[in-house]
Amino acid sequence: MLNKKTLVAIKMVSICLSVIVMALSGIDFYKHRNYKEPVVVSEYVTQVRKLSDYFADLKDTINDCNIYIFEGSEPGGTVLLIGGTHPEEPGANLTAELIVENLRVKKGKVIIAIRANRSASTVTRPGDAYPQFYHIETPWGVKKFRMGDRWSNPLDSWPDPEVYVHYPSGQLLAYMDIRNFNRTWPGKKDGTITEKTNYAFMQLIEKEKVDLFIDLHEAELEYPVISTIVSHQRGVDIAAMTSMILSSTEFKIGMEYSPKELHGLSHREVGDHSRAISLLYESPEPFLDRVRGITDEKLLLTGKDPFVMKAGQFGLLYEKIDENGWPIDVRVGRHVSTFLTTLEMWNEFYPDLTIDVEGVPRYKEVITKGVGYYFRNPSEVPKNRVFDE
Amino acid sequence: MNMYVYATLILVIVIATFTVARLFKLSVELSMFSAAIAAFVVHTRTLPIRHIVEGAFTYYDVCLIFITATFFMNILKESGAIAYMIRSIVKTFHRHRLLCLLLLTVVLLIPGALTGSGTVTVLTVGTLVGTVLTYMGISEEKTAAIIFLCAAMSAAAPPINLWAMMAAAGSNMPYVGFMGPLLILSLAGALFSMFYLGGKGKAVDIEKALHELPQPIEGMNWFRVMLPFAVLFFLIIAGRLWPFDMPILGLPLMFVISAGVGILVSPKKLKILEIAEETIHSLIPLVGIMIVVGILIQSMALSGARGLISLGVVTLPLWVLFGTLWIILPFSEGLLQYAVAPLLGVPLVLLFNMKAMNPIIALSAMAVMWPVGDSLPPTAVVGKATVMELKFKGRYTKFLRACLVPSLFILLLCTLFLIFSNKLSFLVAG
Repeated sequence: MLNKKTLVAIKMVSICLSVIVMALSGIDFYKHRNYKEPVVVSEYVTQVRKLSDYFADLKDTINDCNIYIFEGSEPGGTVLLIGGTHPEEPGANLTAELIVENLRVKKGKVIIAIRANRSASTVTRPGDAYPQFYHIETPWGVKKFRMGDRWSNPLDSWPDPEVYVHYPSGQLLAYMDIRNFNRTWPGKKDGTITEKTNYAFMQLIEKEKVDLFIDLHEAELEYPVISTIVSHQRGVDIAAMTSMILSSTEFKIGMEYSPKELHGLSHREVGDHSRAISLLYESPEPFLDRVRGITDEKLLLTGKDPFVMKAGQFGLLYEKIDENGWPIDVRVGRHVSTFLTTLEMWNEFYPDLTIDVEGVPRYKEVITKGVGYYFRNPSEVPKNRVFDE
Repeated sequence: MNMYVYATLILVIVIATFTVARLFKLSVELSMFSAAIAAFVVHTRTLPIRHIVEGAFTYYDVCLIFITATFFMNILKESGAIAYMIRSIVKTFHRHRLLCLLLLTVVLLIPGALTGSGTVTVLTVGTLVGTVLTYMGISEEKTAAIIFLCAAMSAAAPPINLWAMMAAAGSNMPYVGFMGPLLILSLAGALFSMFYLGGKGKAVDIEKALHELPQPIEGMNWFRVMLPFAVLFFLIIAGRLWPFDMPILGLPLMFVISAGVGILVSPKKLKILEIAEETIHSLIPLVGIMIVVGILIQSMALSGARGLISLGVVTLPLWVLFGTLWIILPFSEGLLQYAVAPLLGVPLVLLFNMKAMNPIIALSAMAVMWPVGDSLPPTAVVGKATVMELKFKGRYTKFLRACLVPSLFILLLCTLFLIFSNKLSFLVAG
């Protein structure tokens, strides 16, 4: 039994240690939450707006993200592409950023959000030991990105309800999914910050008369919805043709119908609650698998993991994996090619609403040159072309 | 170094550090913390403060629920509501043994069901119910066994089952749909334990029993007993009835509001700060272990050791698991307590999911098997609390022997739920 004096001493030391630990980790958390990713927009961008321009409630909040608008010289259809729905899936925001930095639209309009749910990009998941940042090699140096989580930061939305009742369907979902940007569509005007963000995007879709909506994702190999395009029923022709063309020319990709009874997901709700056709792309990300080995930036970017491979040998995965893994260049390459092919198919089906783009590399080019090749040096361009994410 | 060898090395370091720390008489929590720090240091060659703090917050919300729910129960206990409830049951039903036992079982299930902790059941109602059981002619060791087993089942009972919540959170699975299977399993386990061990005996010696139980506080009545529960129930239900208009309170605030109602309707003035202090004091070991488990899991995820365990589990044949989980789960609980849920539970849920079994039924079955191990050494948290609170004078093994048959019944029932999980899918709701 410790005497009173020793006990007091132990308590004092414990308090001091706790304060030191809080301060040191607090600095790390602060740096992560406040790190700004510079984006060099393509010289052909026509407007860079804020999401709050479409729903004022978001002004000056963490989720007031940039909206990059590219208009062609001729009128046509409008597509909205979003990355960063789940910031633990870097293939999505890297693809969106690659397109923003290189796109030229000749006909129609392309609208892009790189970090659709910024809040979720300011936190990593407790218990999963994610790195806070990852780095991409570019011809001019290393570019640093925030790693994030699947759910909005509890600092921005807390507490969670006892059970999450989806608006407006009334479907019961897991409590934490009230912070999951892909379970809160079509959003709620007076809801949580995540629901408000969905609502803002729905306003954007309406005001900008968006015809086609695309949501970029990555998935663990243990998850059945992988390497595929999930489509609202109004988009299945385009999704099926895109899948067929890509599978015969570049890489295998499937197509799935959006389940009508599963609510809150973009491929269901955007299609149901707006005029836009909604699609969702999934590419494989072994980093997200529970059987993964060492959790680090290397795994995040190379997608190489012997434990995940072993699980594959036991038939426990829904996508193949070998010693080459699933590098980030392959995952981003898949997304950009799928995007370009979808637009080609769109133009076939809706010639009056053509969206004609150029400047975006395809799958093989991204793999050959690396995704970093397509990012511009922020210090070499005029400041008005640099925006923070 | 090959990743298999490397992750195995980390696991060996974790186990060795834990064992040595235990040999040096460190508590389970400090031993686990030492093991986590060893894994961090070996893997990163530094002390990754951010990972330690981030891991510590893994079960932050669960801890808050745990603390506020226990505060709520303690308010009811101190206000005399629990004693009033038990005295009323004994007075009204002492001539109907079966009905009396049935109601006492329900009383034993409530605290753990609301807080997720068997210890809270033992501390709030265990002694009082134990007194009644003794005056029903039930032997000392059987009474202790009943209190422990019902406490274990109360921890397993919905709405709060910490094992299921932790494993579900780790597998990105909603903690939704567990109500039915958890309720059936925990209720069956508690009722079997109560009636197998206490079914036979003499009629309640009402005079002696009432004399032994705490005297009723003047002014206490059923309205005052039930109002805090009614408010809690209303707040939970209101979120479902008017989900788009009701502000999000969260379970911790709901428990605090209900505790506030308990304070307001209490016939005696409560020393709120003292109760709050006592609540935190009694929960330090349990909250401590939840925090440390998060840190340990973070260190193992970072270093690949968690992946190795997951891989080892998911590649096992199902028949091996069905044949051994009823032993592995209680003993691992005795060794690691709640840490087993994320460590073993998560890969098992993934495996069951991949094998097209119903993961909710399967996880519910496991989440009822784990608390049975809370009487097993080295930790034996709930078992030790039971024998201490009931002032059981016999050998601990005698108490364990009394628990044996009902424990085996519970484990068998859960194993059957595991095997026939798909056929029992209809139980999944809310």
